[in-house]
Amino acid sequence: MSPTEKLGNFTAHDAPDYCDVLQCMRCGFCLPTCPTFALTGRERSSPRGRVALARAVAEQKLEFTEAVKEEAFFCLDCRACTTACPSGVRAGEVMEICRSQAHQFFPLKHVGKSFREFVLQKMLPSPDLLEHSMLPARLYQKLGIQWLLRHSHLLKLGPEWVDKAEGMMPELHPPLRPQLADSIPAVGEQRGRVGFFLGCIMTLMYAEVSRQTVRVLTQQGFEVLTPKAQKCCGAPHLTEGDRDTARRIAQHNLDLFMALDVDAIVTDCAGCGAALKEYEELLEETGSHDKLAAFRGKVKDVSEFLAEQGLRTEGLKPVNKIVTYHEPCHLCHAQGVSKQPRDLIKAIPGIDYRELNEASWCCGSAATFSLKYTDESQQILDRKLQNVQSTGAELLVTANPGCHLQLAWGLKRAGLSQKVVHITELLGMAID
Amino acid sequence: MISKTAIGHLVDKLSAANVASEKEDLLVLGYDSTPGVHHLPEVAVYPTTTAGVLDAMEIAQHEGLPIVPRGSGTGLSGGSVPVKGGMVLCLNRMNRILEIDEENLTATAEAGVVTLDLFNATAAKGLFYPPDPGSQKISTLGGNVMEDAGGLRGLKYGVTRDYVMALKCVLPDGSILTTGGKSVKDVAGYAFKDLLVGSEGTLGIITEVTVKLIPPPQDKRTFLAYFNDIRTAGEAVSKIIAAKIIPSTMEIMDKATINCVEDYVKIGLPRQMAALLLIEVDGHPAMVEEESQGVKKILEQVKAAEVHVAKSVEEANSLAAARRTALSALARVSPTTLLEDATVPRSRLAETFAEIERLTAKYGLKVGTFGHAGDGNLHPTVLCDERDSDEMHRAHAFYDDLYDQVLAWGGTVSGEHGIGLAKKEYLARQIGPGGVKVMKRIKDAFDPKGLLNPGKIFADDDPCTQAHVEEGFRVSH
Ligand SMILES: Cc1cc2nc3c(=O)[nH]c(=O)nc-3n(C[C@H](O)[C@H](O)[C@H](O)COP(=O)(O)OP(=O)(O)OC[C@H]3O[C@@H](n4cnc5c(N)ncnc54)[C@H](O)[C@@H]3O)c2cc1C
Ligand code: SF4
Ligand code: SF4
Repeated sequence: MSPTEKLGNFTAHDAPDYCDVLQCMRCGFCLPTCPTFALTGRERSSPRGRVALARAVAEQKLEFTEAVKEEAFFCLDCRACTTACPSGVRAGEVMEICRSQAHQFFPLKHVGKSFREFVLQKMLPSPDLLEHSMLPARLYQKLGIQWLLRHSHLLKLGPEWVDKAEGMMPELHPPLRPQLADSIPAVGEQRGRVGFFLGCIMTLMYAEVSRQTVRVLTQQGFEVLTPKAQKCCGAPHLTEGDRDTARRIAQHNLDLFMALDVDAIVTDCAGCGAALKEYEELLEETGSHDKLAAFRGKVKDVSEFLAEQGLRTEGLKPVNKIVTYHEPCHLCHAQGVSKQPRDLIKAIPGIDYRELNEASWCCGSAATFSLKYTDESQQILDRKLQNVQSTGAELLVTANPGCHLQLAWGLKRAGLSQKVVHITELLGMAID
Repeated sequence: MISKTAIGHLVDKLSAANVASEKEDLLVLGYDSTPGVHHLPEVAVYPTTTAGVLDAMEIAQHEGLPIVPRGSGTGLSGGSVPVKGGMVLCLNRMNRILEIDEENLTATAEAGVVTLDLFNATAAKGLFYPPDPGSQKISTLGGNVMEDAGGLRGLKYGVTRDYVMALKCVLPDGSILTTGGKSVKDVAGYAFKDLLVGSEGTLGIITEVTVKLIPPPQDKRTFLAYFNDIRTAGEAVSKIIAAKIIPSTMEIMDKATINCVEDYVKIGLPRQMAALLLIEVDGHPAMVEEESQGVKKILEQVKAAEVHVAKSVEEANSLAAARRTALSALARVSPTTLLEDATVPRSRLAETFAEIERLTAKYGLKVGTFGHAGDGNLHPTVLCDERDSDEMHRAHAFYDDLYDQVLAWGGTVSGEHGIGLAKKEYLARQIGPGGVKVMKRIKDAFDPKGLLNPGKIFADDDPCTQAHVEEGFRVSH
């Protein structure tokens, strides 16, 4: 649909495509995989219901109401429904677009608006601002970036929110980005050269994890280039419905990485990977088709990349641990990367791998969700923790900072002993 | 329109969390999986107990509101669409499994329990609940009972009706009836239980179901046979049955279906083949061996292009799972998937495929056919666009012709999806005016005010209750 053609009761700017909503045949295959439907049993909080609401707006059976907005934001954007849908409907993405619509229909009040704009349009797109920021470091430490986006609610929040935000924060190290050399050579026989996309949350909160990622990549024979000028991937903007800024920074990152002579663009953040892989659609109206397709072909999650290249296992130390794996939604559902991380884990000598029941069920973190709907997020998390506990694992492996935060916090609070590690940390343990 | 006071009463009885009257809630309860039928209800309730169902029933009766029971809304004949508005009574929050009785081999569950959840819970105790509709992950037991759902295992193990031992239900007059029990024999009075099974929510609201369980088969073998001509596949099915072999499953998919399913599951189904049969034999290992030989021999005789045997349980399961996605996967191709449920005596399968091919060409349509071939139950599915009214008319003409032939062969217009809104005229054609009259008298005896799921099964002149299939997603309120 052309950007100026108006679809039903949607605004002309960033509306869903009518064909995408018509595609749903309402079979309900997605219902049992949707965490918000499992919580409420309410049809409108299911993928089938959400698509039907969007369709009703498109067909002028319904205005774009508060309730539609509510459902757009209540959706975890976990994409479990995309995996489950045999008809190829992508309810999560339709809701993401509805978030953008929501901001057009219900603009924020002045203070909230300027703060949101500051975070989304100034701070996140500028890595320097983000890292040295004018905001006191303590604020990061206590609250985290995503939470700032919710600033307009700040004063209305009860103490349990602040507690939760505080409890979730890992121990912080100095941001990684400025520390990484532009180019780090491969160790041993060189197998290729990769560009490293370093997500905001990774550099700020999981610097040590990404350090391991770079180490594992170089040890595996890849030269790693980390362009300093890279910006946020745009995922927070898409989640929050600011598609214009998302497009701006997407274009910047695209140009930056395509100017590098690399075999692949690798990231260790599932959320970033999913966003990068969606640049092709996000920029389809403006960008060159070939360049977008080439970029899309190069973006790899680190597990996907290593599994594809084949793990060099000679010299790996045994890791004698019982291990299980939680699949980040943005890796398995949004990117279809599900088998690769398991194969890598099983390739490490000494590991006793236990499959996690409902491994691909959202942990309840889902971007801002865990801070916005605290109760619901807790119930989703409890379900996950129970499954983790029954594996008897010592290490819970995952591959996304949002899941990492949520799971670590949940395990700590529940007094469980499992440690959460990123898959590259696990690989790091096996490499001397 | 429902009054504010009535909503207030509902909230008092059921709690605010279990009553919905916002338009956004109602809008999404106005459809099921049947294309093109939609209608806004006035209120929706989610009772959590039989008493709650009764309360809702009484308030609706008092207000003169139509009451439409709804399980998961996966019905394929429009059964849970509230065509006359009123109250949608959702049973999906009544989802407790109450008992698995290992002495009597029965399970009792609330009506909103999802079919697969019951299967898994009984399997964990070493027991087996066979009915497995394609929608088993989503559909509710209440919905299964009310449509008498079949499934992939229907050929050998029968349909939902064959497992229902007792039903607890709330009748329109406000009485609570329990019919049947755990005794394997029961001839006390009229067989209400059997009347209720398949009644599509028009006689009473089921709140609890007791089903029979059986010991699971000890062994199983899964075959996948490919064919260059779909008629040969039909012939193979007829011959296997005629050889007195009853596999648990004989499912068919034609080329269009194979390709759509493969687009989704990506497990290497043969895209170039005209048809495939998924055949499963199960039981005692010795019998499985013997029947497998028999099946193989017939497949060779009819010259199946290729025959494969699943190498592992996982592979067998993934094939069955792939088959279950057939209908939804066909929806990838076109915005609208109009599917039918024609069922013929099994000796007529090859001819039925030929007829489907002939009519597809005659009306210039795109059709994908799949179904429970072993039951003679086919789902020819027209892949069309509801915005194209000419195409929709041709699709209906296609079904009209097909049903005439199916009835002439002694078949039925619905093997398992029910009549609902979509097939009222066809029912009248099949059972004649006398049959319809008797059915209506039964309906009147249960529901004299006609408030329970009105507009379903029987053709009447009310324009509100006609299936406006060609008009798409409609809100007539
Ligand atoms: C992809 C797909 C595959 C399918 N495969 C099969 C198949 O293989 N075999 C088959 O037989 N069907 C199949 N179906 C059809 C459908 O799933 C079945 O008819 C199922 O039994 C409906 O269950 P439900 O809970 O969704 O009921 P709904 O659709 O909600 O309701 C069905 C009917 O039962 C009534 N009802 C529901 N619950 C109650 C209750 N507790 N008390 C009284 N009335 C009630 C409703 O009013 C309605 O008339 C399939 C559907 C889909 C979408
Ligand atoms: S989104 Fe897909 S799985 Fe869900 S109801 Fe629609 S077609 Fe079925
Ligand atoms: S993205 Fe996740 S939460 Fe949103 S509709 Fe799909 S399954 Fe439900």
